[in-house]
Amino acid sequence: MSKRVTIPKIPHAFFRWYCKSDRYEELHGDLEEFFFERVAESGLVKARLLYWRDVMRCCQPYAWKRPRAYSNSNIVMFKNYFKTSLRSMMRNPLSSFINVFGLSVAIGISLVVYSFVAYDLSLDQFHENKNEVYLTTIRADRNGEEVRYGLSPTPLGQRLEEDFAQISKVARVKDRSVVIKNEDKVFYESLRFTDPAFLEMLTFPLKWGNEDALQDVNSIILSESMSVKYFGQKNPIGEDILVKFDDEHRKIFRVAGVAEAFPDPHIIEFGFLVNFQNLKVADPSFDTANWADLLDATLIQVPNPGDLAAIRAGMDKYRALQNDVEKDWKINSFDFELLADLHLNAGGIEDAISYDYTEPGRVILPIIALLMVFMACSNYINVAIVSSARRLKEIGVRKVIGANRGKVIVQFLAENVLLTFFAMLVGIILAYTLFLPWLAGQAALPLTLSPTDPNLWLFLIFVLLLTGLASGIYPALYISRFGVTRIFRGSVRFGKKSLLTKVFLGFQLVVACITITGAIAFTQNTLHINSRSWGYDQTSALYTSVTDKSAFDQLYAAMSKSPHVRSLSGSGDHLGVVKSQAVLRLPDRQYEVDQLSVDAQYLETMGLNLQAGRNFKPNPDNDRQSVIVNQTLVENMAWANPLEETITIDSVRYQVIGVIEDFHFHSFYSTVKPTLFKVADEQSYRFLSVRARQGGEKETYAALKSEWAKLFPEVPFQGGYQGDVWLGFFEEVDIQERFMKVIASIAILLSGLGLYGLVTLNVAGRTREFSIRKALGAGIRHIGSNILRQYLMLSVIALAIAAPISYTAINANINMLYPDPMPLTYTVVGLAMVLLVCILLAVISTQIRKVSKSNPVAGLRTE
Amino acid sequence: MGRSHLGEFEELVLLTVGVLYDDAYAVAITKEIASQSGRSVAVSAVHKSLYRLEEKGMLSSRLGESESKRGGKRKRLFNITPFGKKALDESMDLRMSLRNRISDLAFNWQRD
Repeated sequence: MSKRVTIPKIPHAFFRWYCKSDRYEELHGDLEEFFFERVAESGLVKARLLYWRDVMRCCQPYAWKRPRAYSNSNIVMFKNYFKTSLRSMMRNPLSSFINVFGLSVAIGISLVVYSFVAYDLSLDQFHENKNEVYLTTIRADRNGEEVRYGLSPTPLGQRLEEDFAQISKVARVKDRSVVIKNEDKVFYESLRFTDPAFLEMLTFPLKWGNEDALQDVNSIILSESMSVKYFGQKNPIGEDILVKFDDEHRKIFRVAGVAEAFPDPHIIEFGFLVNFQNLKVADPSFDTANWADLLDATLIQVPNPGDLAAIRAGMDKYRALQNDVEKDWKINSFDFELLADLHLNAGGIEDAISYDYTEPGRVILPIIALLMVFMACSNYINVAIVSSARRLKEIGVRKVIGANRGKVIVQFLAENVLLTFFAMLVGIILAYTLFLPWLAGQAALPLTLSPTDPNLWLFLIFVLLLTGLASGIYPALYISRFGVTRIFRGSVRFGKKSLLTKVFLGFQLVVACITITGAIAFTQNTLHINSRSWGYDQTSALYTSVTDKSAFDQLYAAMSKSPHVRSLSGSGDHLGVVKSQAVLRLPDRQYEVDQLSVDAQYLETMGLNLQAGRNFKPNPDNDRQSVIVNQTLVENMAWANPLEETITIDSVRYQVIGVIEDFHFHSFYSTVKPTLFKVADEQSYRFLSVRARQGGEKETYAALKSEWAKLFPEVPFQGGYQGDVWLGFFEEVDIQERFMKVIASIAILLSGLGLYGLVTLNVAGRTREFSIRKALGAGIRHIGSNILRQYLMLSVIALAIAAPISYTAINANINMLYPDPMPLTYTVVGLAMVLLVCILLAVISTQIRKVSKSNPVAGLRTE
Repeated sequence: MGRSHLGEFEELVLLTVGVLYDDAYAVAITKEIASQSGRSVAVSAVHKSLYRLEEKGMLSSRLGESESKRGGKRKRLFNITPFGKKALDESMDLRMSLRNRISDLAFNWQRD
């Protein structure tokens, strides 16, 4: 043998690993003997293989090391830990209940917040090309501020496709409101004109029909809900459906596809899709080469994300093209937003096809969940430290029979994880049965917690470890610290003077104060908003949209006969529903304002208050060159004498003839914008507004509807009470109020429970002291002040800290939701503090009462 | 102590230990069984039986000298104990008595 033959290393190592040491020598000796013989007989390769086989075959119980469990007491000890922790939980039902309940509420809330955030983050994430598709956005100056829009010039999509090879697909999107009719079903709908690539770029699989259908200009694709609305459950492929773009332009489309129901977490959706070229049918003047015209969206698909920089760099030439044509509204730059990020960034993009309505929730809910977890953990820590006095003997005994500090820490942590686990089970039940349905109902979101979601399980484990460790680590360290001799000598004193306990209790009071302030502030805010003036008289005003002038005239004639109608008015725009934009040309800049085209009766009919100047004259021709402006506009222009000013729109000069009090066009979510009123061209009347006589609103509404149905059976009625145009807004305000109230109740509950547990345990620990005091003649007042004193300083300091924090936090919260909210006063904070102090006193007085009723003899005899 | 009767393979191992008196260790036993019975035998099976028989008290064992062909490791040598002999005899007797009770008729296949 030229080379020394050795035993193969890997199987040998394996053998050493599993083989018990006292049999290793003889067993491996046998294997080696075989191995060397075989090397000599049939070569190294075969010998190695057979050695492998032998090692595997010998891997049997007779050769195994004994598992460690039998030789080690760890498992036995853990069993004992769990037994003792269960016993101690049973022995202190009050503190166990406070801990388990508090933690489970906190965990339940965390779960619901998880569900919300998971839902929010999954919005529009089902599109397969979400990392390749971009929305083209533009930036433009609006009254001196650069604003980003999700719109784009009409020709841009076509040019991008021609100019950049890196762009594989382009889909232009334009939405128009149309009337869609199938037999007796006639409704206003939003119709989307788009390129066939739309369905390839976005993942909207079809239930019936195929995606190529959009190539055909005569085809229409319906969403599932629209298919059900117009055709019921049957398959509508091949059916005809009539689209009325306006009075003169209509077209019959053939249904060529029905989309599957959109996945739940989605924002981008559609009701009806037709080929982009149909825009020409809807509006013959539509010009695809007009850079001044804006589309609702231009989507591009860039398969290689690295190419985007090159595209971005090449966008400047389009800016020049647009700026040449549209001098009043120049685009500053183009940008792109990835579909996957669109929802989260949509808050910063105006008029985008996606939007971000969940931002307040995304910010506030996790904070609330964290606060609740922190409160529950503080409760746990406080109660654990105070109640561990009863377990000092147990710890002492454990230490005497050999447990070191580490073992005691492990014991307490294990106990804690067990408790947190119970809490988690209860929390899951709470989340499923109570919190989740509640939040889903309030927010009208399809929130779910799916057991098949692997992230949910990760989150649960994370929460278990986080709350388990956060709440357990300090008590474990604290309790394990005491030496055996001190424990048995009885010289351990703790609980009363622990700074941390006080800090935690103080923190809970602060959180409770903040949430109570929030609940009161939001309640007040709701009252304030409901009673707040809209700037015009929305009560007993009604409106309906009309299709054209002749329809307006017919309805006007019919309604003027009604005895309940006080005044009628026609307009092109309408408060709370439709407005237009106008650009004022000032010497140094352009100024964008809202514009409403109305007739002479409009101000009176809608109850708008003229502050200075005069109304339009009844004959519209007298005031073609006049405008009435609102106060905000006057203030922004810094006009000292507005009635002498003129403004220029589209190179026409207008004389300001009146100033009107500020009014809220949109809900209180948005600020008052500078607005002007112009005389409407009679042909452009699209709304009929009605002011009913006091008490005649219902009859007027009924008359309006029935006259409409009589005159235009084919066109759906679109109108109602003016007071209902903000219906969604008021619902949201209500939801916020209810939400804050629930959160405040939970916070009060948690802090109250924590305080109750703490006071109870403290008082119980001082039974002997109080008994002696009573035996020596102390009255209830003396004992009460003794107990109160312990918490007085703490509460005072906590409330002193809480007041400014509550004020700023709730102010920031309300300011985030409303641009000009009801000013938050210190009265609200004061009210919250009074409420909190009452709760504190109520909790403490239960214990004072208990002590005063107890027999001192019984208290002394227990020792 | 589990079952006291012998399994077929155990009996084979016990017999071979007797045959290889004073040099009965796993490798030699494996080879002997393989050569005598003509079937392939895994050394792990022999190990298993040896340790079980020792547990039952039918074998006794001691460690031998270290040998270079075993990488300097010692081997465990086995001997039959009196209890092992008794078990072996009982097993043999049982077989023999049963064998003797078979009547010649059973082996007469040319009857019909």
